[in-house]
Amino acid sequence: MMSLPFVLFACGLGAAWLRQREVALGFWTVGLVVLLALFRAHYGDALNIAL
Amino acid sequence: MPSDLSRLLNALGLVAVDTLLALAFIDQLWFRDLPCPVCILQRAGFIAAGFGIALNLVLGPRPSHYGVTILGAVAGGVIALRQMLVYVVPGSGSYGNEVFGMHLYSWAFIGFVAIVVGAAIMLFYDRQFGRGEPLSERLDAFTLTALVTFAVLVVGNIFSTLFLCGFGFCPAAPAGYLL
Repeated sequence: MMSLPFVLFACGLGAAWLRQREVALGFWTVGLVVLLALFRAHYGDALNIAL
Repeated sequence: MPSDLSRLLNALGLVAVDTLLALAFIDQLWFRDLPCPVCILQRAGFIAAGFGIALNLVLGPRPSHYGVTILGAVAGGVIALRQMLVYVVPGSGSYGNEVFGMHLYSWAFIGFVAIVVGAAIMLFYDRQFGRGEPLSERLDAFTLTALVTFAVLVVGNIFSTLFLCGFGFCPAAPAGYLL
């Protein structure tokens, strides 16, 4: 799950190398959305502040 | 700005991103400082930002590619800033090793800000956005090396994250590799 953004960015790089610009941008967009979704899932990690 | 200079500056920018990602690997593998889930996402943020630079190098410079870089850096910067704020209260601890007096997430935030500023400055030079050049004319050895290194680091992060987290979510403070 955590490696999914990297997989999507790698696919995007491959598409860019094949000069498929729109496909590359599509992979990047999905990768960024997944990245932000994973950030939301880990938002409170290590919040060990004693109040 | 001549397209040669734009290409050189983009290649240097990608080398800088490559260097940051490589240093993160060195810290992980040599100093055995396992990255937390949010740290992994900051690496993904650097790759999201570097993606736009790679597009500039492979497909020619476009304003939208700099937009990709800026958005990726902003996403990564928000994640790094969040981690800084988690530990901003005195006595609330920290995560990982210090490098030159600051933790990696603080350095990452500075890196993301530098990327945003650099991309914004590059956007000032309209003359770089000319007609696209054939791929063979654009990729000199330095540019190709920066691109290949970037691709290797992206693939390396796929395997590193798989070994560290398995196929699910990462533990908040990983103690070892799951695979």
